[in-house]
Amino acid sequence: MEFEEMKKIWNNQENEFYFGINEAALHKRIQVKRKTGLHISNTTELMLIIVNFCTGIFMLSIHSTKPSANTFVYLLSGWMFVIALFVLISRLRRLKRELRFDRSMLGDLEHALAVASYQVRLSQLMQWSVVPAGILIIALMWNAGKSPWITVAVLVFLIVTTFAGRWEHNIYKNRKRQLEILQKKLVSKG
Amino acid sequence: MTEKEQKQIFNEWLHNYTGVAFKIVRVYAITPMDRDDLFQEINIQLWHSIPAFRNASAVSTWVYRVALNTAIKWVTKERKHNQSESLDNEKQVLYENNTGTDDRLAWLYEEIYKLEKTDRSIALLLLDNFSYKEMAAIIGISESNIGVRINRIKKHLITKSIKNEHHGI
Repeated sequence: MEFEEMKKIWNNQENEFYFGINEAALHKRIQVKRKTGLHISNTTELMLIIVNFCTGIFMLSIHSTKPSANTFVYLLSGWMFVIALFVLISRLRRLKRELRFDRSMLGDLEHALAVASYQVRLSQLMQWSVVPAGILIIALMWNAGKSPWITVAVLVFLIVTTFAGRWEHNIYKNRKRQLEILQKKLVSKG
Repeated sequence: MTEKEQKQIFNEWLHNYTGVAFKIVRVYAITPMDRDDLFQEINIQLWHSIPAFRNASAVSTWVYRVALNTAIKWVTKERKHNQSESLDNEKQVLYENNTGTDDRLAWLYEEIYKLEKTDRSIALLLLDNFSYKEMAAIIGISESNIGVRINRIKKHLITKSIKNEHHGI
């Protein structure tokens, strides 16, 4: 066969697409994304509430047995309670919002997108919440006269935590981005 | 550029160039799962490329450039992961439309798929009537290199078709 003939064969395909889109499979995939997002959000929220609340209580109870009062301990515990409370309120709002989505493909997609946006906001908040907590921890250690090496080690740990938080945040941002593209495609189709 | 404008352009591109994405997916990905993955990746990269599009080239050239570069990068990345990832049984989003499929066209796609990854891009562009200059701009290699490769691709495809003639191709 000559190349020109191959070109003719090639040009004849222009009027029909080789692929079609399986809507049922697409819907299933969106549902999986939604469920995964919900599962991750649920676990993250519960962990943040429990860890922050318990650490705050633990620090206060340990400190209450000591004779001298340290303002930084109270501030740090207070900050942890604020974070726990904030996550709890966010969780309750999120659960309330979930009722408004229908179970159509676009409804599920909007739900998955809302969950992804929530994950992005939550991970961003957690990333920034490390900063005041870190400052208070360093101040607390300084105040307690701990070795500078321990302070440096804690500082390094906090920096690593911030980077890990940023990495996690980018994963959620990518997921959200993929869902947004999918939404645009579906809206443009129908 | 506002998000509204970006959406509008994206919808227009989707409407006009989905066929291009399908062709590229067909010559760069073989399993249904890979095809879904690449198709999605091409769309994502097209969306992100919109603010960088300055009308310096035709839209079709731009779309091809973004989509082919995505496919080439995807092939490299996919090869690294291929051996460790297991195939799942999930139903695929993209399915093959078998209505009126020309065996010779299927053969042509198969042969293009067997080419080296840059040659696959060149073969696609050549069949879609792009000039050497446009191909060089899309792929990022010199026009003379494009010319050499085109000669080789043409010879290869013609030889293969002669060998396959007794199979009715």
